[in-house]
Amino acid sequence: MFGYIKVDQANLLGKEYEAYKGIYCSLCRQLGRDYSVLARFILSYDCTFYAMLALDLAEQPACYRQGRCRFNPLKKCAYADTETAAFSLAAALSVISAFYKLKDDLLDSPWYKRILYYLILPFFARWRRKAARRYPQIDAIVSGMMDDQQKAEHDPDCVLDMAAAPTAKMLSEMCALLTDQLPLRKGLDPDKTKRILSSTGYFIGRWIYLIDAADDLEKDQKQGQFNPFLLSGVDATAEYMEATLNHALSEALLCYGLLEKGRYHRIILNVLQDACVKTQRKIIGEVADKHAWTDADSQAPA
Amino acid sequence: MKNPYEVLGVSETATDEEIKTAYRNLAKKYHPDNYYDSPLADLAEEKMKEINGAYDQICEMRRNGSRSTASSGSYGSDSSYNRTSYPDVRQYIMNGRLDDAMELLNGVPEGSRNAEWYFLMGMVFSRKGWNDQAYSYFQRAYQMEPNNTEFQAAFNSMNARRTYTNPGYQTSDSMGCSACDICTGMLCANCLCNCCGGGRGC
Repeated sequence: MFGYIKVDQANLLGKEYEAYKGIYCSLCRQLGRDYSVLARFILSYDCTFYAMLALDLAEQPACYRQGRCRFNPLKKCAYADTETAAFSLAAALSVISAFYKLKDDLLDSPWYKRILYYLILPFFARWRRKAARRYPQIDAIVSGMMDDQQKAEHDPDCVLDMAAAPTAKMLSEMCALLTDQLPLRKGLDPDKTKRILSSTGYFIGRWIYLIDAADDLEKDQKQGQFNPFLLSGVDATAEYMEATLNHALSEALLCYGLLEKGRYHRIILNVLQDACVKTQRKIIGEVADKHAWTDADSQAPA
Repeated sequence: MKNPYEVLGVSETATDEEIKTAYRNLAKKYHPDNYYDSPLADLAEEKMKEINGAYDQICEMRRNGSRSTASSGSYGSDSSYNRTSYPDVRQYIMNGRLDDAMELLNGVPEGSRNAEWYFLMGMVFSRKGWNDQAYSYFQRAYQMEPNNTEFQAAFNSMNARRTYTNPGYQTSDSMGCSACDICTGMLCANCLCNCCGGGRGC
């Protein structure tokens, strides 16, 4: 999870933004309750989106209550209370994915960062153990994704789709899991909903992987690290990246469009239709600028 | 059975024009063109039938039993297999048996792989979610037979999904479309839906 799935506040109504913020604050609180006050620091927009998707599907709506932020008591928060497993699922996903990401970062980080990572690893490991006891399937999904990613990156025949598949599959399975873990709202057929969420999750996961790859392109190029846009046969131009990202996002939207509208429908659309597009334009714009500079440098007279 | 007004997302007091607009918006959103190579093609087809049925029902109710002619209601009804070299592969794709379809396609010797072979490989990859591979196979099929309407429509539709004006981004309720868009789309759909619903190129 990388923090790319956020809302575009400018295009949300005030009450919609408040509803979203309530979910964000509630997930933060859940991380504190289920794991530790320190676990609140791994709160991410991606897992907030996951919690929102869960609440959107759940039969019982969240009940918003005013409260105060633990870190800033002067700030009021509207917590979204629910009896469903929406937040505990999202909190478990947060700590499990944070643990595996940290383990992965240990492999390819400079020594000074590794020291810090080794110091915090026991905390992450303890949270992961606790989350895995409660949701072993989430641990299996995320650890499976890490293994598949390693395999794909070391496969000599790796293509862009193969590299993107583990993250896509992980989110696909995580979204499908919601239909097993929550009592669904009226009008949703469990099998159809599972298929729709699974496909929507797949393409959102694919988009997340590709946008992260586009964002890291320059760094990976310099450090000689794996990047799907640097694979042979892949055209690492801004236009190509934009088309590939658009394709994934468009498929996600088409799949999500088949789901009966829920209570957070407009916010979910805002995320996929406005915020992701903005993020994409910004990152691709930076890639295009760098290309333009590189081209200009290579054409400049010596 | 669902209330037809609820299906179209309009109130029972909506004017005929409002109903027509709501129908057109939904028909464009759930158009088979947008989903023919999607893993959820069957659900989109079901949704389209529901929308067509709701519109027909409202028109019928409002015209005291007279039948509406505005909706097509014919997606996926053609199930003939004329002019396809790979009826089994198409059947597997339609049933979601993508690995079996891929195995059959891989068994075709390289020398006898025609444009339809590339098109079907594109379909398999697209339904698996491997968009990049799907795009290159559709492109190859189109380049080999640019006059084939099925390959042309598949390639154009996928190209549209790779731009900011793609159908996915137009899922908001405020979107509108002209009657001309609908007619053109439906003409293409009749050709395209055969691929998953039946399998005949036009």
